[in-house]
Amino acid sequence: MKCQSCGKREATVKYMENINGKKQEMHFCIDCAKKLGFVDFSSMFSPIFTNIPDFFEDLSLKEELKCPVCGYTFDDYANSGMFGCPKCYDTFSDRLDEIFLKLHGKNRHVKLKEANTNKKEYVNKDKKQNKEDKIQELKEQLRILVEKEEYEKAAVIRDKIKNLEGKK
Amino acid sequence: MWYKEISKDSDVVISTRLRYARNINGYKFPNIMQKKEKEELLNKLKSLNLSKEYNFFKTSDIDKITLLSLVEQHLISKELVNLTDTGIIMNKECNIVTMINEEDHLRIQSFESGFDIDKCYDNLSKFSNILESKLDFAISDKYGYLTACPTNVGAAMRVSVMVHLPALAKLGLLSKIIDEATSMGLSVRGLYGENTSGYGNIYQISNRQTLGLSDEDIIRKTKAIVNTIISQERKARQVLKENNIYLGDEIYRAFGILKYAKVISDDEALKLLSKVRLGVSMKIIEDVSLEKVQSLIIDIEPNTLRTILKKDLSKEEEDIKRAEHIREELK
Repeated sequence: MKCQSCGKREATVKYMENINGKKQEMHFCIDCAKKLGFVDFSSMFSPIFTNIPDFFEDLSLKEELKCPVCGYTFDDYANSGMFGCPKCYDTFSDRLDEIFLKLHGKNRHVKLKEANTNKKEYVNKDKKQNKEDKIQELKEQLRILVEKEEYEKAAVIRDKIKNLEGKK
Repeated sequence: MWYKEISKDSDVVISTRLRYARNINGYKFPNIMQKKEKEELLNKLKSLNLSKEYNFFKTSDIDKITLLSLVEQHLISKELVNLTDTGIIMNKECNIVTMINEEDHLRIQSFESGFDIDKCYDNLSKFSNILESKLDFAISDKYGYLTACPTNVGAAMRVSVMVHLPALAKLGLLSKIIDEATSMGLSVRGLYGENTSGYGNIYQISNRQTLGLSDEDIIRKTKAIVNTIISQERKARQVLKENNIYLGDEIYRAFGILKYAKVISDDEALKLLSKVRLGVSMKIIEDVSLEKVQSLIIDIEPNTLRTILKKDLSKEEEDIKRAEHIREELK
């Protein structure tokens, strides 16, 4: 059966809707189901470890954080014990202090030695780097927004990038 | 091969390994990377233009027996073999070996025979500096080097020392020492890492904590504790020597079986070699070198044996050929 939304891809997800007591079954491909908001996979396969009260006190009340780069949620981390990408450490930083304290007895690293010249250069370039990092970050956001077809927001980001690049 | 040599403290320590976990900005961690992204990263690393001393391999281009033999030599992890789109960068001496797309993008490792953390560290930092000058490693001010699993974050460095503790085991002191090392923040595991018990009384001691500690802190701490364990094992050997005849009997019986057996499994061979290793270290057996025993411990492993003999073997043939190989070596 083909997806009832796009009509192109094979339908792999079943969705049951209940309208005024009348049950209706619909079939979608995974992409459309996600786009239409019918399926939230991460909440369906609900986390096993997030219920350990020690680890995640009152965090469950907070809204679901999602890493802007890899799309990982905190639940994904709790389930796999691994992060999705380096950016996750920023995304979830609010929740990490306590966990790291339990894992390592500390939650901050010592200052990394700037021993080799390569790293020294990095420090000198810091300001420039910061700006370039910011541009990279914005570009990533732009890419995501375009993918989601949120063109208005994307236009705002695009202007910001132009602005920053102009000041180079 | 480095493991065939003997070096500092080789009477107790088989080998020292240092490992950095490093990741590259702009890529997801391997656990959620798509095939395409993994391939892209492999290609990026292939085209790094490293000196000729280093060779790049895709794991899929290496045959299974050779790969498993590398696992037996502890140069790569079993996970690396089981995962897809992984790679290896190895120098000619095989003492600087980097795993690609294992749990982290890079697991840079350096090996030495015996207990020589300083030399390992020297080699490790030299090579990782080369990589760091060519790649954009993921580093944060707060957390240091970022890793897929937060148990490695920070220095992202793991020291592993492989020790042979037969005398402590014999005196029944091993569990106490393991407990003490554990309470000092080290972990003690069997020969092949997690979930393997102490085959042949060989254990891997490694640091657990990596966040908030500098490389030097970790090295200093691990050195101090391993040195204590080494001296305890030596003391235990002294104590055993006083009952020489019984220990000597046990060691020579093991030696005898290895010298004359016609069929032998890897488990049995390892157990016996462990005793002979003790005998050679204590100079109870003097007509075999420690190098030879040390090499045999690895060479008798199923896949390494096959690579040495250059042919595939059925399980039955394997046990016969193993016995033959050991007889030949101990002649």
